[in-house]
Amino acid sequence: MRRNDRVTYSRRGLLRRLAVKIATAITLLVGIATALVFQAQDGSPDHIPSYVAWTPETITSASSGDAFRGMLLAKRCNHCHGEEGFSPKASTPNLAGMNKLAMWKQLEDFRSRKRLSLAMGPIAQSLSARDVVDVVAYFAALPLFSDPQDDRVFPQSRTAAGQDTVASRLITFGDGERGIPPCQSCHGPVAYRTGVPSLATQNADYLLNQLEAFANGTRANDINEPMRTIASLLTEEERRALAEYYGSGLGLQSASSK
Amino acid sequence: MNWRKLRTFLLTALVLCLIPATRYYQIDLPLLRFLRGSNHVDPLSLHLAGEFVENNLGTEQRADGSVTVRMIAQQYLFIPHCILVPAGVPVHLRITSADAVHALTFNGTEYAVKVLPGTISEAQLQFPRVGEYKTVCREFCGAGHYAMRSEVKVVPPEQFPALHPDERGNCEAQ
Repeated sequence: MRRNDRVTYSRRGLLRRLAVKIATAITLLVGIATALVFQAQDGSPDHIPSYVAWTPETITSASSGDAFRGMLLAKRCNHCHGEEGFSPKASTPNLAGMNKLAMWKQLEDFRSRKRLSLAMGPIAQSLSARDVVDVVAYFAALPLFSDPQDDRVFPQSRTAAGQDTVASRLITFGDGERGIPPCQSCHGPVAYRTGVPSLATQNADYLLNQLEAFANGTRANDINEPMRTIASLLTEEERRALAEYYGSGLGLQSASSK
Repeated sequence: MNWRKLRTFLLTALVLCLIPATRYYQIDLPLLRFLRGSNHVDPLSLHLAGEFVENNLGTEQRADGSVTVRMIAQQYLFIPHCILVPAGVPVHLRITSADAVHALTFNGTEYAVKVLPGTISEAQLQFPRVGEYKTVCREFCGAGHYAMRSEVKVVPPEQFPALHPDERGNCEAQ
């Protein structure tokens, strides 16, 4: 019988145990107090670019959306982002087939006002966390290429920008002298980092606006400031050339031919 | 004084002297980590809190005249991209990685710092000559590794701006 096995303590033993408990409590209290004091001393507030951190849990929850529910929610996106995820306005991004995590992060940043936009701010703030995950799943599922069996018109390359050596060199090789990494090492098709969008079918005007915003700091939601650094290292002509190159849809062709 | 007491005293003194040495040689043992304080960080949430938040990166001026430089290495950039340090002054470098293993080297010097995700790498540097040093990543870290370069601008101490304790220096401020 376990209940009868209870050890009885002498008064001295009890006192000793009590003393140990009191000592532990005092140590803990002193520890907490010092931690609070040190926190209070840290004066200036931290500048946080985005509340998103790419932990495995974040990635799982952000990429487990319900695309059908997202389709119903995305009715209100169609006016600007297009029925098929290809935007009719060049200043609005195409969302068809875009990386889920990339879209999710931007919507979360719009929601937490870490990325500011007059149009997208109120819209994103009206969505719940689950809405964001579902909408993202829908747009990620939209096709990028036309299927021979349907007769929908997909954007085609508009100019012969393949001769544009400034942009194509920056995309393939970057510029080692200035420390500019090649675009394709993060934005594809060579390699992708977590939460980085493919630029192959993006709109030229939108890309140029974002590069300018990164360069002058009006958009500052990139984690550890990679895009702010790169955009400010690029010259104005280079930014324009890159936006036109990606905007002409040639990035996608090179992706499919490689 | 009896022999036992002397022996205990000497051994304690030896252990205490070895603690700073382990810091220099980057020896990592759980007990030592406890004694000298953890140098571990979460590479995924560097930007949210702690030592490597955005406004804490760059050059910090210390009361004794030396400077502390905090950097992040990330595929395929060193952030901040250009760091500003005064010449002939001890530079305490604290750098961590947000993703892969990188190695920060300074052209024209013998300094090389291995940068591991999850750990703060520390180094004591000194740049005696004024000028610009290119920093290069010498550990293959991915597709853009060959363009992973930045620079250190070494200026005469009198040209280095006087920084507020909350302020961090960089090339733009100069």
